[in-house]
Amino acid sequence: MFEFYARSLEASMIFTFAALGELINQRSGVLNVGIEGVMLFGATLGFIVAQTTGSYAAGFAVAILVGALLGLLHGFFTITLHGDQVVSGMGIWILGFGLTTYIGSAYAGPLGLPRIPTVFGVSPFVFLSIALVPVVWFVLSKTSLGLQIRSVGENPVVAEVSGISVARTRYLCVTVGGMLMGFAGAVYALNYNPVWNYNFLMGWGFISLALVFFSLWNPWILLGGSLLFGVFWQLALNPQLVLPGLMSRYIWRTVPFAITLVVLLLMSTPWFRAKWGAARPEALGQPYVRD
Amino acid sequence: MRLGALEVKLQPRASLPGWKAALISVLAIVVALLLFSVLFVLARVSPLEAYREIISYAFFNRFGLPLSISRGIFLLLCTYAFIVPYQAGLWNIGMTGQLYLGSLAVYAVVLALGGKANPSAAYPAGLIIPLLMLAAMAAGAAYAGVAGFLKGKFNVNEIVVTMLMNFIAFWLVSYTIKEGGPFMGGSGEGEGFKLPAALNAPLVAGVPFTAFLALALAVLLTFMFAKTKVGYEIRAYGKSPAAARYAGISGLRIPVLVFLIGGALAGLAGYHYFAAVPGVYKIPTNYGYFGDLAFYGIICGLIALGHPLPAIPVALLFGGLSVGGRFAQGKLHMNFGLDYALLGVLMITLVAFQFFYRYQIVVTRLEREPADVRVLR
Repeated sequence: MFEFYARSLEASMIFTFAALGELINQRSGVLNVGIEGVMLFGATLGFIVAQTTGSYAAGFAVAILVGALLGLLHGFFTITLHGDQVVSGMGIWILGFGLTTYIGSAYAGPLGLPRIPTVFGVSPFVFLSIALVPVVWFVLSKTSLGLQIRSVGENPVVAEVSGISVARTRYLCVTVGGMLMGFAGAVYALNYNPVWNYNFLMGWGFISLALVFFSLWNPWILLGGSLLFGVFWQLALNPQLVLPGLMSRYIWRTVPFAITLVVLLLMSTPWFRAKWGAARPEALGQPYVRD
Repeated sequence: MRLGALEVKLQPRASLPGWKAALISVLAIVVALLLFSVLFVLARVSPLEAYREIISYAFFNRFGLPLSISRGIFLLLCTYAFIVPYQAGLWNIGMTGQLYLGSLAVYAVVLALGGKANPSAAYPAGLIIPLLMLAAMAAGAAYAGVAGFLKGKFNVNEIVVTMLMNFIAFWLVSYTIKEGGPFMGGSGEGEGFKLPAALNAPLVAGVPFTAFLALALAVLLTFMFAKTKVGYEIRAYGKSPAAARYAGISGLRIPVLVFLIGGALAGLAGYHYFAAVPGVYKIPTNYGYFGDLAFYGIICGLIALGHPLPAIPVALLFGGLSVGGRFAQGKLHMNFGLDYALLGVLMITLVAFQFFYRYQIVVTRLEREPADVRVLR
């Protein structure tokens, strides 16, 4: 049973990194639905670099770098060219899915490096992901930079008038957010499940995206959600641990997605919106055109 | 910005005539193919030779051409499934899940008729094939309708919903065709049972009849958008849901309707590929590969700017490129996934080109200042 919870924590660490990246994006008003694509890129390039150089550090560094570049690309399309954020995000996702399938297929199979040592029986990245939550919370809600980010996400016109550069702030957020998403992908491919396969993320990025809506843009709730979904994910992979023989293991695989759907639905009811609807960044998804 | 005696300015377009939009779309495809040749160069393959292999297999080979057409029609149906909600400003990226549900419905009906136990029985094809198509469309529509309802009633983000439902459908198919699932074939290789030969879709000129149906649907959909009240309501909702509501257009009916139509078309794509294309006639082990190809529908829909008729050449071209790409990949000893890589490059190029649909580059020649004015300064 310890093994089950340890693996759950390790699943939730990936959700946490990726969703924190998306949360930082969204607090500045930029929606990036391409999170799965950024993760695939980070995972695949990190995997290839780590395997060819034999160095985990190099793999993670490349994953963070490619995440930053894809974040910048999303920024370029949406902030500089005022493009539709959904179109750009979809583009990054399909680019990631398509190109990594081609690039990675020559490296299909296990990573072949010694596993990263565990700390208290779990991956060290579990602690890093949990430690990152108060950091993001502190920066967003207690510092002037955080105020700047939030004001850009709520009302960019007012922010600009009060002397904040909307474009610079948003660029910062999409880059840092992209780095976290790329890193999340690398944590998956280098630590959680170090085997490269065709389109192996199978929805981690989209669940992370849903987790940000679930979190009401609050890093602490996001952590709670990630921990919960880590357990669901492990349950879906190993149903025999809890309810042996109840349903086909394939049916269990649908459970995390079904639960995400139900949660999204509950959060969208008028009752919930009346109570908590104000948490959504006002300018989320809207391009800001300065005239 | 000034370049010598020229001034270059970016201006938002007031309107975009059809021929200019078409030109931009063609240019986007050409640029994407140029960018894509980098991959050939990296693999030490001459891009010209690679494209020649791809095009000649896809469009000028008697084995390749029918494959390209079947694949292109599949993409075309997926494109319609994207376009109809897109005209209402909504994103259906759940074609994959909807076509899985469609094919599950087909095989559920066949199973109920005893087609698994008795594959060589004589069935009245003229009666049952329409039934299979209806079942596929109903299942796809119902599955997509969930997303439309959640959007219209509770404003749940339809992108996330349709994507989550893709994964649910993916695992449902695995359940039905693997490890003793109800549709598992006799070979035990984790694929679905074969469609009885009597129910194989009739071929017209060597291609499944669904191809002609798909072409006719383009006309029907164009008529619907241009001439009918419901088409007008869909487009009005797409321009501005709030304004549409003031005009008395229901904020629930339109999202539900477009997703029902889109889902039905995706379901038909599922029927087409898994029950009408020669050589398939079952849910194969690698159904995930075909399901993921449905994302080409997004690209075709965007390139065609949401119009069904221009989507026809685009879908047929991409169908051919994906078939030819798979062939060239084997022949030129390249990595698996060449066709997916093309999907990605096309998509990101198209995103960049969205800019040109909205802005134009205006170049004006600056009048050279007369010498006497320059002296005065």
